[in-house]
Amino acid sequence: MPRLLARRAAVYALLGLAVLIVAFPLVWLAATAVKSNGQIVDPSAPLWPTEVHWRNVPDAWRQAPFTRWFGNTVLFAAAATIGQLASGLLAGYAFAMFDFPGRRVLFVLALSGLMVPFTAIIVPLAQLLGDLHWLNTYQGLIVPNIASGLGTFLFRQFFLGTPRQLGEAARIDGAGEWRIFWRVYAPLARPAVAALGIILFLQNWNNFLYPLIVTDTTSMQVVSQGLSVFQAQMTQAAQYNLIMAASLITVVPVLLVAVAAQRHIVEGITLGAVD
Amino acid sequence: MRSRRRTSALPYLFVAPTVGLTVAFSLVPLGMLGYRSLQHGGVFGNSLRFVGLRNYREMLAEGGGHALRVTAVYTTGFVVLTMLAGITVALLLNSRTPGVRRLRAPFIVPLVVPAVATALIWGNLFAPRFGLVNRLLSAAGLPEADFLSAPGPALAMVVLFGTWQFFGQNVILYLAALKALPVDVVEAAAVDGAGAWARFRHVQWPMLRRNTLLILVVTTLTGLQTFTQIYVLTSGGPSGATQTALYYVYDQGFRKFDTGRADAMGMVLFLLSLAVTLLQIVMLGRRERHA
Repeated sequence: MPRLLARRAAVYALLGLAVLIVAFPLVWLAATAVKSNGQIVDPSAPLWPTEVHWRNVPDAWRQAPFTRWFGNTVLFAAAATIGQLASGLLAGYAFAMFDFPGRRVLFVLALSGLMVPFTAIIVPLAQLLGDLHWLNTYQGLIVPNIASGLGTFLFRQFFLGTPRQLGEAARIDGAGEWRIFWRVYAPLARPAVAALGIILFLQNWNNFLYPLIVTDTTSMQVVSQGLSVFQAQMTQAAQYNLIMAASLITVVPVLLVAVAAQRHIVEGITLGAVD
Repeated sequence: MRSRRRTSALPYLFVAPTVGLTVAFSLVPLGMLGYRSLQHGGVFGNSLRFVGLRNYREMLAEGGGHALRVTAVYTTGFVVLTMLAGITVALLLNSRTPGVRRLRAPFIVPLVVPAVATALIWGNLFAPRFGLVNRLLSAAGLPEADFLSAPGPALAMVVLFGTWQFFGQNVILYLAALKALPVDVVEAAAVDGAGAWARFRHVQWPMLRRNTLLILVVTTLTGLQTFTQIYVLTSGGPSGATQTALYYVYDQGFRKFDTGRADAMGMVLFLLSLAVTLLQIVMLGRRERHA
């Protein structure tokens, strides 16, 4: 019995330490975001905020176009995610359910994107988008992100595992192919759509490098870019409290989503690792 | 098995968005990358002329070789630390200790919050003079350090920050793998009197080999793609100490406008990722055959 207790104590202690390491920077963020600037830069000031300056948050928000940046991010992340899910569902369904000339070649092409990391092609991609006059546009942000090799692969796997008879029965009842896809099979994929959807949405929301190479005007930037620009300005002005308040502004919405959709996120991470 | 229906346009319409957009925005740029990496010419791609491997030679001589070494150090450190932390925490969460299952949630948080914001927190924590770490150091009577301004410490900081941000992914992946192991085998070992370490070393770890290989591949790819953290924390500095291959591509392509060198390095980055991805596909193929 004492051995069991000792082991339990060790497990709790180690996990407690791991959770502390993970959580501490965020706790520190919350604490620093409500300090006065004077307290942050004074090496002898108390570590915990002596007075809570909630005003830092609206002050930071007013100093830069955060409303616009959030709007751009919502639009970009939502449109890209919906596009990825829709195109992946359609392609995955077709590759799983239909036999058609050229299927193999098209499948290889559809998955080839998985082998071309976008990071390797940022320079020619920016040149291509420049030629299309798509830099600093919403279509430039969204459209090149829509194809999803991962979505195609996962949804194909999923539909390969669904019973054929459902579609046959609907066909006998006279349903068309679109109706069979949309009414019979697509609803079955709902859990997979939720898990993959949340992961893709968070990835798009946090995507930094892509918007960085496609947009450079304040009105088209996303919130991560905006925060980095704001940081540079506020470091010049030595307004560290506003930098932390702005960081808090960008962290809180994602944190709320993460808490609410925890189960789906875990499932999505596990799904995503097969890509 | 498959419904062999008469050929119609429908399947082509279904796959058209994915295939079309992949060709347009992945394969075409990849072709441009390969072609341009062998050409010398202006920023706007005018008056290109074939120069063979000159861009590659220049790239390797002018900071690219250094960037590849930084990438090797960064990725190795990142992979080793995230995998060690991942399996350790996963084993703890998987132990039959009451209440620990609920502790899984915190580990996904660094994965999903914006990296720019968390990098700024790290910058604040390790800031010279008033940063928490330096205050603790001076309180303990130790010399203060400017962690992000000296080459060695800066690279270590970037590795540690990357690890902090991503190891939760390996926690989740290892935990899922541990839960998928056949219970009776692990139980049998316990009944035979094997201690926790012996159970792990001789029963669980060998059965996790395939998962470990997959996690290794995924983590290596993540390591090669690291950008935001470096952009915010060090901008590749001090004096190139944290300039990885990807940061070099960005720096040459979008700051110094030397697209020849950027494309040469982009090609190297592509080939590195391809080698790792091919390993993964070979494994996937094996898994499908086994399933």
